[in-house]
Amino acid sequence: MKARLVLASVIIPLGLIIAAVPENTTKPYKLTAEQLLDEVKSGTQFIGPEEVADMVISKDPSLQLIDVRSAAEYEKFSLPNSINIPLVDILNSEWEGYINQDIKLNVFYSNGTNEANQAWMISRQLGYANNYVLQGGLNYWVETIMNPEAPENGSPNEEILKYNLRKGAGMALGSEASEAAQPVAAPGGAKPPVQKRETKKRVQGGC
Amino acid sequence: MGPLVVYEVISQNTNLLLAFFIGIGFGFVLEANGFSSSRRLAGMFYGYDTTVLKVFFTAAIVGSVGLLFMSLFNWIDLSYIYINPTYLWSTLGGGVIMGAGFILGGYCPGTSFCAASIGKIDALAFIGGMFIGILVFAEGYPLWEGFYNAQFMGAPLLNEMLGASRGMLTLLIILVALGMFWIGEWAEKRFSRDDYKLNQ
Repeated sequence: MKARLVLASVIIPLGLIIAAVPENTTKPYKLTAEQLLDEVKSGTQFIGPEEVADMVISKDPSLQLIDVRSAAEYEKFSLPNSINIPLVDILNSEWEGYINQDIKLNVFYSNGTNEANQAWMISRQLGYANNYVLQGGLNYWVETIMNPEAPENGSPNEEILKYNLRKGAGMALGSEASEAAQPVAAPGGAKPPVQKRETKKRVQGGC
Repeated sequence: MGPLVVYEVISQNTNLLLAFFIGIGFGFVLEANGFSSSRRLAGMFYGYDTTVLKVFFTAAIVGSVGLLFMSLFNWIDLSYIYINPTYLWSTLGGGVIMGAGFILGGYCPGTSFCAASIGKIDALAFIGGMFIGILVFAEGYPLWEGFYNAQFMGAPLLNEMLGASRGMLTLLIILVALGMFWIGEWAEKRFSRDDYKLNQ
């Protein structure tokens, strides 16, 4: 009898408190495998080269490019203002401040996307946000930004605009190609000769 | 000792050693509280001794309040707590079999070993019956496999089914438990037996 009263006088107030306070909704430290797979499937980690080029040219201070290739490769060629964190050193505590932060937009890049994706996965598994992967990696960067393929005559205007944007970005970033950008067909002007519409489907960039 | 093993703070072998000591402690507390008495355990069914109800519900409400407070203080991540998946029909069937054995034999599996360790012959008979049951279940598995896996529900949570917060459900269970303790003590008086002794 008495024990029941003691128990009741302790546990009922505690129960009232726990019923009144909001549930702890702090995010778990690690993602579950399913959550990670969902993010990988939807490709939310990718950021297109045009968007990155735009930020580089406008010297956006929130952008932090991170080269995850080896130091030797970084010496040979790297994107402007990027830092080098080789993938093998990604867990090194001296880099933690760069990867675990919520101010800058980190963009990992490597030659393809493999190493950058690996770096992203590790950082994501650690629960860090604001880390992204350069879509297509440096290879695609060179292909689209540094040496963009001129669209065929009579291509839709957005293709030409895209080309001009890439061309401009490439020039601003010091590519050797110095051809003038193609003029956009003025609306209402002379119709270009009818040609086969064969627009090459590219991987969708975040343009 | 889940997190300590997962994060390799302790090895598997140390884990087993710790389990050994915790097991001894658990058995000791069970025995010290009369859980090795088949009369006390069966008393739950007849109403003359409701210690089992009081002990297990006290453990449940203290445990749930403790977990929720630890979650509140960020000491534990509740999403890491393993929840037994529910197979509705085998849960109900198993409950009936377990309950019937409980009343007939006067033990549940854990307490039967507890009682056997202090030399009770009926507990040894109960353990023998338990092994026969295990053998029958394993050998006849193809016969009840369908029933065993029927109505899989994942790991449902009562508070999610009721649409209440965890804390609110815990408060509700606390109140229900205290109400049951009160009914239990009423039943102990109502159905009291003059010949009832804990260990006879």
